[in-house]
Amino acid sequence: MNINLNKSGVSLLNALSNHSELIMQAYFSGSVNEAEYSPNIIQSLIDLKVLWRPESDVQLRLRPSLRTLLEESLQDESNRQIDANIGNLLATLTTQAEHYKEALAHQKYNESQAHLSDLTEHVYTLTETLSTNVRLLWSRISNEFGYVSSVDAKIRENELAQTQVTDMLNQLSMFHFDTLSQLAGSHRELRHLLVITLQSAFATSTQELSLVQSKLLELLGRFREFKGRTRLLKGFMLHMEQKPDFTPVNYSTLSQVPNLFNRADGIIKAAAPDIHNVEHEFELTSLVNNLRSVNRLWQGKLNREVANPLILEQETSVSLEEDLLKNAVENYFCEVIDSGQNTRALDYYNKHDLTFDQEVWIYQVLGAFQGLPDSERQYFDIDLEGVPHQVFDGNFIIQDIELGLR
Amino acid sequence: MITEQGRVLELLLSGQFVCATTDEDAFRYLQSSVNRELVDQQLNVLNRHLSSAADGEVYFCSYQSIGETERKVLATQFNDISSHLLPLIEWLLLVQETMGTDVPLTQGTLIRLQEVQTVVEDTPAYAEQLGKISRYAMFGSKANELDSQLKLIFKRLVELGYLVRPNMDKQIYCATGKIDYLFDVLKFIDETENLSLSERAEDSINQSSLL
Repeated sequence: MNINLNKSGVSLLNALSNHSELIMQAYFSGSVNEAEYSPNIIQSLIDLKVLWRPESDVQLRLRPSLRTLLEESLQDESNRQIDANIGNLLATLTTQAEHYKEALAHQKYNESQAHLSDLTEHVYTLTETLSTNVRLLWSRISNEFGYVSSVDAKIRENELAQTQVTDMLNQLSMFHFDTLSQLAGSHRELRHLLVITLQSAFATSTQELSLVQSKLLELLGRFREFKGRTRLLKGFMLHMEQKPDFTPVNYSTLSQVPNLFNRADGIIKAAAPDIHNVEHEFELTSLVNNLRSVNRLWQGKLNREVANPLILEQETSVSLEEDLLKNAVENYFCEVIDSGQNTRALDYYNKHDLTFDQEVWIYQVLGAFQGLPDSERQYFDIDLEGVPHQVFDGNFIIQDIELGLR
Repeated sequence: MITEQGRVLELLLSGQFVCATTDEDAFRYLQSSVNRELVDQQLNVLNRHLSSAADGEVYFCSYQSIGETERKVLATQFNDISSHLLPLIEWLLLVQETMGTDVPLTQGTLIRLQEVQTVVEDTPAYAEQLGKISRYAMFGSKANELDSQLKLIFKRLVELGYLVRPNMDKQIYCATGKIDYLFDVLKFIDETENLSLSERAEDSINQSSLL
C-alpha cells in the first residue's frame, strides 16, 4: 500500500465531508459563489481537484468525475449522460488479459495476481456501466421525461434517449465472445471473468435495451398524439375565428351514418314499484312512511295559505232570541215568588202563550234553576214530572216541571 | 341481485359512455370479446349494437338500423354536440394551459379545481376567457364572480359526462373517455370537411415565431 496515496486520499475525503454544503450547492446551482466562502477553503478545494475553473473569467465548477459520482449515488434523474465507451474498455480488458497470461507464463505469480485484480476491476466496471446506463434510461421512461415540461422538449429528450440506445446497441455488438474465449484459453479465472460474467451482463443489457427501445417508441407515439391533439384544438379555434358561422354538415342525414355519430338514445327509465311483491314490503312501507310526513308538511302549508281574514260580524239576532227566552224564564221565576204558589212550567207557558219550543222552554227553566247561585236556589223547590224510558232503563224523560217556594 | 352483464346493459341502454374512469368494472367486463359478444346479442334485440371509440377506450351503444325515428334522435344529438364543440374546445385549451403541462386532457387526467382557479385568478387573460366560456348557452352562467363561473362549468361538465367527481367532498375532477370521444369527433369533422386544422395551427405557430 502506498502510504502517501493513502494519506492524500483520506485528506480528500475529509475535505469533501468538511465542505459538503459548498459541494452540494455547487452540484445544484452548477457553480460556486466565491464571495460566500473564504479564499483559503476555495484554494484548498481547487488543489484537491474538487473544483475547477474551465476558463479564467467563469465561476468555479465541480469536477465532472465528482458530479458523476454524486449523480449516480443519488440516482438523480437530471443525469442524462450515458457513458457508452465500451470499445475502449474492451481493448483494456484484452491488454490486461495478455499481461496476466505473460506473467503466468514467466511464473511471476505476484505480478499475475496484481494484473488479475486490475482485470477484475475493469470487468466489473464494464458490467456496472451497462446496468447503470439501462437503469438511467428506464428511470427517464418511468417518469415520462418529467424534468421537462413542454411536449416538444419531451419529444427531443425522447429522441436523445433513442440515439443513446442505438449507440449502446452498436457498442454492444463489439462484444465478440469467440475472441474473448480464445483470449481466455484454458485459464479458469480468465474464463470466469471474460466469458461468464461479461456474457450474462451482455445478455441482460441487450434484452433490456430492446425493451427500452420499444417503450421509447411507444412514448414518442404518445407525445406525438398529444401534439396532434393540441394542434387540432388550436386549429379549430383559429378556424372558428376566421369563419364564426361554421357548422359541420349534419352527418345523421347521410344515408350511411358514421359510427361515431350513431349513438342510441337512452331508453331505460326507472322501474315502477310492485306492491304485490312481498319481498319489497319493508322498503315500500318505509317509503310510504316517509311520504306521509312530507304530505303533512305540505298540507299545513296549503291550509295556511288559504286561510281567510277574520271578519267581525255582530250576532244580534241570536242574542236577542236568547234574551227573550231568558227574560221569559226570569218572569216565570218572579211570578212564582210573587204568587207564592207552585206553578207548572207548561201551565205558565200556555197561560202566557209563549212561542218557544216546549222542550226548549223546559230545558231553559231547568238550566236557569241550575244556574242560580246556591244561596238563591235554596229558596226554590223543583219537582220533575216525567216517565222512565220504556226500553233503556235509567233514562228519565222530563215532561214538565213544577216550581215552588220552600 | 343484478348480474354484471345486466349492469353493463343498463349502463349502455341508459345512453352512457363506458370507460375505465366512469366504471372500471364494466369497462373491464367489456374488454373481453366473449362478454362483448353476449352484450351485443342482447342489444341486437332492441335494434342496438355495441360500438367503441378512441381506440377501444370507450364503449357506447348505437342503432343497428336507422329508420325515421332513429334519424330524428341522431339529428338532435348531432346538433347538441356541434353546438357544444366550440365551448368545450375553448375550455379544453384553457385547462391545458392553466395546468402548465402542455398535455391535452385525456381519459383519467386529474383536474384540481383549486389549481386551475389559482392560475386563472392570477392571469387576467385566462379570467376573461373563462368568462366568455361560461356565457355560452351550453353553460349559461350569468354570474360575474370567477369562482361561481368555474364551479358552474365543472358542474355542467359532470352532468354531461365529460368529467366525474370521484369524491364529493373534494374539488378534484377526472376526465372521462367522453373527452377522447370528443377528440375523435373533432378529427372526423376535420377530415370530412377538409379543414386541415393541424396545418392551420402549425402555420400560425410558425408565423408567430417569424414575427
